[in-house]
Amino acid sequence: MDLVDEIVLFGADWCPDCHRSIDFLNKMKIKFIYHDIDKQPEYKKKMLELTEGRNVIPTIILPNGNILQEPSNQELSKALGLDIDQINSQNKSIHELIIIGGGPAALTAAIYTTRERIETLVLEKGVVGGMAAVTDIIDNYPGFEEGISGIDLSDHLQKQAERFGAVIDYNEVLEISKDSAGLKKLKTVNGDLYARAVLIATGSDYKKVKIPGEEEYFARGVHYCATCDGAFYRDKKIAVIGGGNSAIQETLFLTRFASHIDLLVRSSIKASDILQEKIEQYVKEGKITVYLQTKTLAIEGENNEVKSVLIENKSGKKSQIKVDGVFVFVGLDPNSKFLIGSGVQLDEIGFIKTDNNLQTAIDGVFAAGDIRSGATMQIASAVGEGATAALKIRHYLED
Amino acid sequence: MLKSVTIFTTNTCAYCHMVKKYLSIKGVKYDEVNLDENPHRASEAQQLSGVLTVPVTVVTKIDNSQEVIVGYNLARLAPAIV
Repeated sequence: MDLVDEIVLFGADWCPDCHRSIDFLNKMKIKFIYHDIDKQPEYKKKMLELTEGRNVIPTIILPNGNILQEPSNQELSKALGLDIDQINSQNKSIHELIIIGGGPAALTAAIYTTRERIETLVLEKGVVGGMAAVTDIIDNYPGFEEGISGIDLSDHLQKQAERFGAVIDYNEVLEISKDSAGLKKLKTVNGDLYARAVLIATGSDYKKVKIPGEEEYFARGVHYCATCDGAFYRDKKIAVIGGGNSAIQETLFLTRFASHIDLLVRSSIKASDILQEKIEQYVKEGKITVYLQTKTLAIEGENNEVKSVLIENKSGKKSQIKVDGVFVFVGLDPNSKFLIGSGVQLDEIGFIKTDNNLQTAIDGVFAAGDIRSGATMQIASAVGEGATAALKIRHYLED
Repeated sequence: MLKSVTIFTTNTCAYCHMVKKYLSIKGVKYDEVNLDENPHRASEAQQLSGVLTVPVTVVTKIDNSQEVIVGYNLARLAPAIV
């Protein structure tokens, strides 16, 4: 590769073809000098000289002096004397970085890594934006004084990551392991993928409350997504099980549909003060009734419809409350089942243990966001961890 | 061959958003029934799907056979729109 040691590429961060050429050269391990025409006027001037006044990027100077303007990967490899078919077969599905998950931590990491010109593939099995996407209003994410909807925040993150060249693929990872060459092998529902580094940002899902009736009436009266299913409870009575931030936030959302909500809290309400104050308003109006230190024993119904919940207060007295539906928000379960037996160490609940570099027990496999043991389950924290992980991954790939 | 695709959605449902995005990428035209704007049609979605959730995607083929897909389920949605 001595002949191609002094390639100069004129491009810009917003230019997808520049990213494609840069990714190609990186993948081929070919060194090049990058001149961003937006950052230095002399780079733009030089580019215009090379193209005889045409605004064309990427413009690439080869060591033999030849100039390529907006070349395809095929043209670039031919000009460099490379056999692209051989390269394709050798490099089949080997990525610089694969990010598992598509929530805020994952997408932030992708923004950072792609800006660092690290080729990045994001694998999402469900909804881009993850749990954040199914949240009605996110009120505590900095920078949005009126709050932002989960869908909008996810959309912005996705578009930002894609602008810098991240590729988002809908795929599910079933297993992760390391091959003899040190590459990380991901077994997915669409075949095997290989990567030099992996970031696990699979987040968490709402936990089941594990009581009779919960499975039986799932989606027929028992729900875990207020923004998806709340609309079916217009002018109806519902119960919400849970007392944390999510439970209260979702209860507030559900007030726009339900005629009355019974909030069933096993111990005490642990949501932030501001959410508690909001709930208080509805309690005063009689729209919400709060049951503290109350166990929900069963969800009952007939003919495929939920009719009531059976509850027990702290003195052991049981009673029945008539409701048309139940929404469950009792905490989070880590999405880490696919890691069991992989060598990635999990804590007793199933969250991933990492070191100070956010690296897991497998060299080159990192974790960030809600899936990480000790995470604070906040979108702002997940975003911060995504950025940190990206920088640590850059160091790892440079070594 | 597809005759029509109808999706029952709500404004806040992220999975609905994903189904719409997927169909748009695939160039499939669809009709949307937004249950926030048309609450009286919620029972129609429930009758078709048997559940109280959105998105519900109803794919009708040229021979009038119908497939009802609940949620953002690419494993079922992808082959249904071919």
